[in-house]
Amino acid sequence: MEHAYLGIDVGSISTKGVIIDKDNKILSSQYIWTQGDPIGAVKELVRLLEGQFDKEHYKIVATGATGSARKLVGTILGATMVKNEITAHAVGTTAFYPDVRTILEIGGQDSKIILVENGVAVDYAMNTLCAAGTGAFLSSQAKRLGIEVEEIGEYALRSSHPTQIAARCTVFAESDLVHKIQMGHPREDIIAGVCNAVASNYLNNVGKGKKIVSPVVFQGGVSKNKGVVAAFERTLGCKVIVDENGHLMGALGAAILARKGSKRQEFDFSIENIDFRTREANCDGCSNRCEIICVYRGEELIDAWGNRCERGAKVH
Amino acid sequence: MAEKKKRNISFPRFAEYNCAFKYITEQALDARYVMPPVLTKRTMELGAKYSPDFVCTPFKTILGSMIEALEAGADTLFMTHGLCRLGYYGELLEQILRDLGYQFDFINLSDYDMSKKKEYLRIVRRFDPKVNPARFLAQFMEGVRMVEYLDEITAEYYQNCGFDTTGGDYRRAYQDFLTAMYTARGRRDVEEGYRAAKRALRAVPLDKPQRPLKVGIAGEFYTVMDPFSNLELEQKLAEMRVEIHRWMNVTNQFIHHGGQKNMHVKVKDLCAYEMGPTATANIWWARECAERRFDGLIHIKSASCTPEIDVMPVLQNISADYKIPVLYLTYDAQTSDVGLMTRLEAFYDMIDMRKKVL
Repeated sequence: MEHAYLGIDVGSISTKGVIIDKDNKILSSQYIWTQGDPIGAVKELVRLLEGQFDKEHYKIVATGATGSARKLVGTILGATMVKNEITAHAVGTTAFYPDVRTILEIGGQDSKIILVENGVAVDYAMNTLCAAGTGAFLSSQAKRLGIEVEEIGEYALRSSHPTQIAARCTVFAESDLVHKIQMGHPREDIIAGVCNAVASNYLNNVGKGKKIVSPVVFQGGVSKNKGVVAAFERTLGCKVIVDENGHLMGALGAAILARKGSKRQEFDFSIENIDFRTREANCDGCSNRCEIICVYRGEELIDAWGNRCERGAKVH
Repeated sequence: MAEKKKRNISFPRFAEYNCAFKYITEQALDARYVMPPVLTKRTMELGAKYSPDFVCTPFKTILGSMIEALEAGADTLFMTHGLCRLGYYGELLEQILRDLGYQFDFINLSDYDMSKKKEYLRIVRRFDPKVNPARFLAQFMEGVRMVEYLDEITAEYYQNCGFDTTGGDYRRAYQDFLTAMYTARGRRDVEEGYRAAKRALRAVPLDKPQRPLKVGIAGEFYTVMDPFSNLELEQKLAEMRVEIHRWMNVTNQFIHHGGQKNMHVKVKDLCAYEMGPTATANIWWARECAERRFDGLIHIKSASCTPEIDVMPVLQNISADYKIPVLYLTYDAQTSDVGLMTRLEAFYDMIDMRKKVL
């Protein structure tokens, strides 16, 4: 029986999972939409992963959770390692690209840049108050133009005269885009313009003041978009590496961190038929009214958070 | 004969400094102090509701806290002046509160020429026309001493609380100190409270490694000091076993300058002009952290704080020259700390892994 390690990354838009062996070889992997239901998505993900997994030869001995729903999902899975997505991405990428110097990452709602030296992250930045130039913007514009988000890249590469689109803010970008459509710009050019806008917005906001050194690895859902990759290569003047598993890097990082961690807890895929439920309670101890989230497995309370003082403990 | 009607004075919540405002009001001015309620989501909602949308977050917090003070019975509000937009805030706050229908006396330092010593007595006479200047000064200085003690103990607390082995004794000792300051009624209470806190903090066994992770904190005056406004950043980071070093506090900025006179000369190579109330100090402190080989620096500001936005390019240069990672955090009226925790955990992982390699 060989040991295997499960990593799950539950983001705002998509839920990713991988199972790796001790040499970081992927034994099974899945990518599905979160659709606003992280618990449901994780159950579905685990069911799909189980179908690809060879239970005769391997057993999962440690589980890592990351992504914005890491706490909730970590509790449900009984994860041995719960890590933020920035660290998970850095660890995942440096495991596969030890020489990497710059990691560009654009996901559904957030974007980040991680600078690496000697295999260790030395600086990072993440978008703060604004979600401009992320996957959510691309998919809403694809919908407006009547194409699938997966097709954006092909369209963009066919353009020879990308339209200029004001990229500072998604709201302004959108109205600029509408004007250009109504003026009669071809669809390919507009789509290429949107891809350029995403790249320049990213470099001007998240990448501001950061020295981008090659080799550059680009990942996150948006890295599957060839138009944005081409825009980055043109702007940065260097090759941008996109791994075929780039969308899974967070989950891979979580699995690697679980493997390196000291905790061990066997995972047997049995969460599918268990009923998990969350309840939000407001503490009335003071006017802050902390919102406390309680997580139940069946009728049993397994965890709670959001509480800021001892007064809230009596709520759950 | 009817007893003289005492004023009910209040000043908005600002970190833990309200204990000193209370002390000075009660002991030096012989008036009542109305303690505004602890800052909560309600304070922020009230403030944001009646504020211009694009004003900085401290304005919203201060407005909310003033409304809560008026609700609690204050009849006299006091507002400070300042070198950025803060200088106009007093006037705007007063207007908004009057439009809401509150009746109160408003004493705004921006109405006075603070460069003239004579004006200080005029301000004090606004509070209490029959004030005895000598007695006032003696008690006022004791209030200033309380601020010095508060800043000293707070700095000591955040440098060590992450290494407490007892599961909370260190925090309790700090809380006891704050209680002593909030209830002090005379010089002896202040001095004894301070000495008791020093003893209590020293008595707690700490488990600190030889070379702990050290992080410097710099940023905009209000948000960097007020735990409610920065979502308890210092406590959260300290609990990951990190030493927190923040230079910016009332003592260093206004009373002693931390032994750092002529700071603008020391940073002349980095910036030629004064850029705002705290810009010079923050730039100086950022380089100081870099030269002391701290593991990281966190820069805090509220959204749209222009002086601190101007500081950021200088910090980027310091970061590149000294290879010190800088985390830039922008706060708005949000009260959820999920995003902050993600960034802080990642920052911690980064400086921790980096230290092991370098």
